[in-house]
Amino acid sequence: MKVLALYSIKGGVGKTAGAVNLAFNAAQAGYRTLVWDLDPQAASSYYFRIKPKIKGGSKNLIAGKHELDVLIKGTDFDNLDLIPVDFSFRNVDLLLDDQKKPTKQIKKRLKPLADSYDFIFLDCPPSISLLSEAIFEAADVLLSPIIPSTLSLRTLVQLKEFIDDHALTHAQLLPFFSMVDSRKKMHKDIMQQVLADYPATLKTTIPCASDIERMGVERMPLGAYSKSRSARAYAELWQEILMRLA
Amino acid sequence: MVTHFELPAHVTAEQLIASVSEQSSLHLVSKHPVLKTYYDSFDWRLYRHDIICEFSQSTQASILQLSHRKTSELIASTTLIEVPSFSTQFSADKMRQILEPVLEMRALRAICHVECLVYQFDIVNNDEKTVLRIQIEEFERFNHRLSLFPIKGYDKVAGRIVEVIAEQLKLCAIDRPLLLDILKSQSRHPKDYSSKLDIPLSPDMRADIASKLIFSNLLHMLKVNESGTIANIDTEFLHDFRVAVRRTRVGLSQVKNTLPDDIVVRFKEFFSWLGQITSETRDLDVYLLNFEYYKKQVPVDLRASLDLLHELLAAKQRQAQKQLAKHLRSARYSTLLAAWEAYLGSTPNNKPTQVDAKLTIKALADLRIWKVYKRVIKEGEAIDQHTPPEALHRLRKTCKKLRYLMEFFQHLYAERRITSLIKQLKRLQDVLGDYQDYATQQQKLMHFSQEMQVSNAPDKTIMAMALLIEDFDKRKNKIRDHFTWQFSAFKKPENHTVFHALFATHHS
Repeated sequence: MKVLALYSIKGGVGKTAGAVNLAFNAAQAGYRTLVWDLDPQAASSYYFRIKPKIKGGSKNLIAGKHELDVLIKGTDFDNLDLIPVDFSFRNVDLLLDDQKKPTKQIKKRLKPLADSYDFIFLDCPPSISLLSEAIFEAADVLLSPIIPSTLSLRTLVQLKEFIDDHALTHAQLLPFFSMVDSRKKMHKDIMQQVLADYPATLKTTIPCASDIERMGVERMPLGAYSKSRSARAYAELWQEILMRLA
Repeated sequence: MVTHFELPAHVTAEQLIASVSEQSSLHLVSKHPVLKTYYDSFDWRLYRHDIICEFSQSTQASILQLSHRKTSELIASTTLIEVPSFSTQFSADKMRQILEPVLEMRALRAICHVECLVYQFDIVNNDEKTVLRIQIEEFERFNHRLSLFPIKGYDKVAGRIVEVIAEQLKLCAIDRPLLLDILKSQSRHPKDYSSKLDIPLSPDMRADIASKLIFSNLLHMLKVNESGTIANIDTEFLHDFRVAVRRTRVGLSQVKNTLPDDIVVRFKEFFSWLGQITSETRDLDVYLLNFEYYKKQVPVDLRASLDLLHELLAAKQRQAQKQLAKHLRSARYSTLLAAWEAYLGSTPNNKPTQVDAKLTIKALADLRIWKVYKRVIKEGEAIDQHTPPEALHRLRKTCKKLRYLMEFFQHLYAERRITSLIKQLKRLQDVLGDYQDYATQQQKLMHFSQEMQVSNAPDKTIMAMALLIEDFDKRKNKIRDHFTWQFSAFKKPENHTVFHALFATHHS
């Protein structure tokens, strides 16, 4: 089992689209795949038409009163399941703080699923918090979407510094470009700079495209309703991630 | 868990749909004719691992699915245009990860097929989220089937529909895969081939009649592997064909004085010829099967240079295979094989002339196994660090004779005891077999190296081959050290006591 967290300090950069579409590609290739929606906005639950509800509530979930398995819902796609979230999860830092070793809790909850899934995608909320640290402990890979803009670049630097300062060497940080407009010179320049500064950055880029935005209307992963350039980009990105994992 | 129901002849798909529609919001996803083809290796490796491999072809898609034989749980699924023969030809995904260790070098072959009309429905909730999948398959020759595929986390819906089906339509769930129904309709059954011997002998059978039964079993094994060997479907057809030949040769030489001398002489020669004409192809098959492993034995920068050797071996294999196929299509082969079959099928002589023909098979088995066992011990004890390799080769052949005899006659002895002895003998044979394989491969590789030097192969290739030859030599010597330990384990007093108790009943 490999745990891949779609993580960024910044919001609106394509984390949920990344988690949903990469998980869809993994599942289509036959891997047993799970998405864990950790963002109280419940966007990935919404994309899969699954009710945003944590059975028993966030408190019991974090306290480990239920196994994660009972919260899992099958999506409409083979090999692809999801753990939904609800609004009570906005207080997750307080709940984690009540636990002994709070940063180990996500990893501990995931452990019993090791034999059931090949890949688990964590759709993370935008912040740096106690939950983020617990995610860093649990994840094998941090997939961080970056819009090629100055602000986005700053958040990558902050994330890198945070990882270094806290000696979080366990997870491999793999940034990738999201919402890229290939006509913009600034996007091209920033991408070149990031690739030079962070050679681990994935080469495949996700374009800024209206069919990705349509996921909210269709309520399904992009690949399930489109064979567009954007759908191909997610498929290629997944292949590149697989190669890096190998 | 997936639940299957068999629909009685009077229940139609329409009736079923009407019953379910009353309860839930049912969406027809598709309705199309499907050709289902079941795949497995010739020796049923997937089925033996509880895997059913089904390829469904329709105008919409062609999907290969692996499911669990007992629970029907989906293990892996992929869309394909056609099913590749070998697991290594699948793209590097889950399907290949599952198939590769199970199938190894064996080819996937179509076992049987059936046509049906498939209806697929989804039961959806208010968010248009699928909460249960339903499939109805209509067959011409079999009862229609209904399958419910629950979605994780929405079990209540599946439970409700099962209740409706059980109460209103009086259907009971079944757990028999469709594959079994199709095979049954063709008077076949799964696992109908195994290279393992299972000859139903009884202790009081007359020795000549029992030996004919053994040879008939071996002839069957040879014949079922014949067409696959000629067509070179995969390497194991030839392997099993050769095993049948070797076992027959051991039978003719070791189950002595039961069949008439002229028969034994005539067919010993025939099976010896079969051994000869098949050996080169098998040797080359082994080289090619192990090639990736060989490559890993040389430094990374030299590995690519071994591709030339691979080309040479593959070309030689193609040539040898062609020659082999020609032999197996020859009049000599078909005439002698038919004569052997006719002899085995002929009525046994009431007054056989051979001295041991009237013995019971148990008495003969005891006699032969005990004698060959003592020979194994004698030959093994004579081997030390200075004994020439030929002695190990001789012992290997004697062990093989003992193994085949024990396998021919295993039904005559307490299963647990003889199986345990066979296992221990197998361990000794593995050591001797590896030693012989390395010695042969080393020698042949030297020969290929000379051949390639003459044809001006690059220095790097010759160097890589020299490293491989050296590696074989090291391994050979290491195995020789291991032999002493393995032989001591085989001849330990506990084993000797069992051998004595089982086989030395009439001898001291």
